[in-house]
Amino acid sequence: MINSADKLKVDRRDGKLVMAQIYVAFIALLIGGLAGLLQVLVRSGRFELPAGIGYYQILTVHGVVLGLVLTTFFIMGFMQACVSKTAGTFTTKQRTIAWIGFWLMTIGTVMAAVMILLNEASVLYTFYAPLQAHFLFYLGLTLVVVGSWLGSAAIIMKYAEWRRANPGTPSPLLTFMALVNVLMWIVATLGVAATVLIQLLPWSLGLVETVNVGVSRTLFWYFGHPLVYFWLLPAYMAWYVIIPKIIGGKIFSDSLARMSFILFLLFSIPVGFHHQLLEPGIDAAWKFLQVVLTFLVVIPSLMTAFSLFATFETFGRSKGAKGLFGWFKMLPWGDARFAVPFIGMLSFIPAGAGGLINASNQMNQVVHNTIWVTGHFHLTLATAVVLTFFGITFWLVPHLTGRVLTKAINKLALIQGVLWAIGMTFMSGAMHAAGLLGAPRRSAFSEYGGAPQAAEWIPYQVAQAVGGSILFLAIILMLYIFVNLAFFAPKGEEEFPIGEMSTHAEPAPMVFENWKIWMGITVLLILFAYTIPFIDLIQNAPPGSKGYNNLW
Amino acid sequence: MAKTELRKNVKTEVEDRSSLKGTLASVFLLGFFLIVSWVGVFFLFLDRF
Ligand code: HEM
Ligand SMILES: [Cu+2]
Repeated sequence: MINSADKLKVDRRDGKLVMAQIYVAFIALLIGGLAGLLQVLVRSGRFELPAGIGYYQILTVHGVVLGLVLTTFFIMGFMQACVSKTAGTFTTKQRTIAWIGFWLMTIGTVMAAVMILLNEASVLYTFYAPLQAHFLFYLGLTLVVVGSWLGSAAIIMKYAEWRRANPGTPSPLLTFMALVNVLMWIVATLGVAATVLIQLLPWSLGLVETVNVGVSRTLFWYFGHPLVYFWLLPAYMAWYVIIPKIIGGKIFSDSLARMSFILFLLFSIPVGFHHQLLEPGIDAAWKFLQVVLTFLVVIPSLMTAFSLFATFETFGRSKGAKGLFGWFKMLPWGDARFAVPFIGMLSFIPAGAGGLINASNQMNQVVHNTIWVTGHFHLTLATAVVLTFFGITFWLVPHLTGRVLTKAINKLALIQGVLWAIGMTFMSGAMHAAGLLGAPRRSAFSEYGGAPQAAEWIPYQVAQAVGGSILFLAIILMLYIFVNLAFFAPKGEEEFPIGEMSTHAEPAPMVFENWKIWMGITVLLILFAYTIPFIDLIQNAPPGSKGYNNLW
Repeated sequence: MAKTELRKNVKTEVEDRSSLKGTLASVFLLGFFLIVSWVGVFFLFLDRF
């Protein structure tokens, strides 16, 4: 179904809202990238931070700014752009709510950032108790979450409005996907809101002496795993819907895409224990149950892989490709809007393999808290997701600012993607290898008293530094491209690519839009997976812990 | 001497345009890679614990 909205640009007022969030995301990229560079240099053992700046302060900056700020801002902006484009321009009320959300998120970010810079909140981006931050850090994060709820509310309101206006019709695919992500986000953030408001804030204010560490970590990971899917699903939106249009093909299957998003909604939340497999206080049987649920996420992931291969192959064959892999050559390798996210997709293959290993219950002991884990999520988040976001930036920013992606910038963008791939292969490869040899994550350089095992890690840490420096160059290049697209590129019309279904496709079944069913199952699965272990954690809790702050 | 020739043995290359055999091969390769990496770390695990 082609409606007239497909031809229209995103409304200018909505465009401003989206751009505001993307600006913050790219400022975050600059600051976080700089921190990342310092980290790899420190860990190589050949460099020390000047002026008494601590490694863990820098690491907190890096994790918070890239893992929490860049992602949340970019994702809210991108999803709002998708909804505005496919379900229609936001009403003034919806847009105002989204703007309030943006400002709350921004104020919250500044509050948290100031506390980190004052070294009052060097608690890393997971802010595990009993590490204790200044209360303004927690309050800032709360504002970020509440702000994102308002941004989400605008999306939900637009969706509801669209459904009222188009009874009995499936919603536009991108709007549907944004809605799933937003629903998952709201259910997930309830966990982090609970630990911050009920436990960490009162404790950092000194209103209570101690904190139940097990409960706070469980609430964090109840949020933490869906958080990674909150990052990933927008990339999947681009892979399922936008990439097919860019290459000139068709969406492989609308229903398959909706089905896989629903499965992510169901299985992304009741699985947080796979981050706590080595923690005491949780019965092994419940850990096992959540491991089983975790492996169910393999299904929609492989559905996605299949669907993407099929899109590419169908397109190639329509262009006359022959043989088993002839279609591969037909893809538009010179188009950065495709090629850069494609590098991201490729990186998701080793990333997925690593994920299966991490989640394999006992096997988690091999990699837990080693730098392998860092290598893993620099493939998932810092390559698959981030390169897809860059690929989106190449057309979304000029689309919104009324400019075009020129040939020259497209070429720079390709170089940027290749640099990223090279840098990350070194950095992430070295991290995986050193991790298997036992090198810990979240640790400044140390020779561990001359231990021979620690000496084995050093060559990998040097390789990490080489890769990380190349990555930093790629970040600088990306910032240059962004500034060009936002302020200097020639005026013109850049397309907002949205894939179409193949002509003989059936419309998606309406059952996918039955949120009573899907939210009902989501809640039931969460209650099933968490209620009893949670009661255990409270009833059989050890004495609470006092806070530890300013350790470094 | 005109000879009508029925060119019988020209291969009719009707590769089905909707064929997804490359996709099948790709997902098998993907699955193979997942299994090999998993088994690799599994043996490391058996070795250490
Ligand atoms: C110049 C590029 C980058 C470099 C050199 C880099 C380097 C690093 C290093 C060395 C660590 C681990 C340090 C340790 O555990 O001691 C780390 C952690 C991390 N990185 Fe990156 N990174 C880069 C880009 C990114 C990007 C683009 C993202 C996300 C969008 C990201 C997200 C994270 C997160 C969330 C952590 C975890 C922090 C923690 O454990 O508390 N990084 N990075
Ligand atoms: Cu997880």
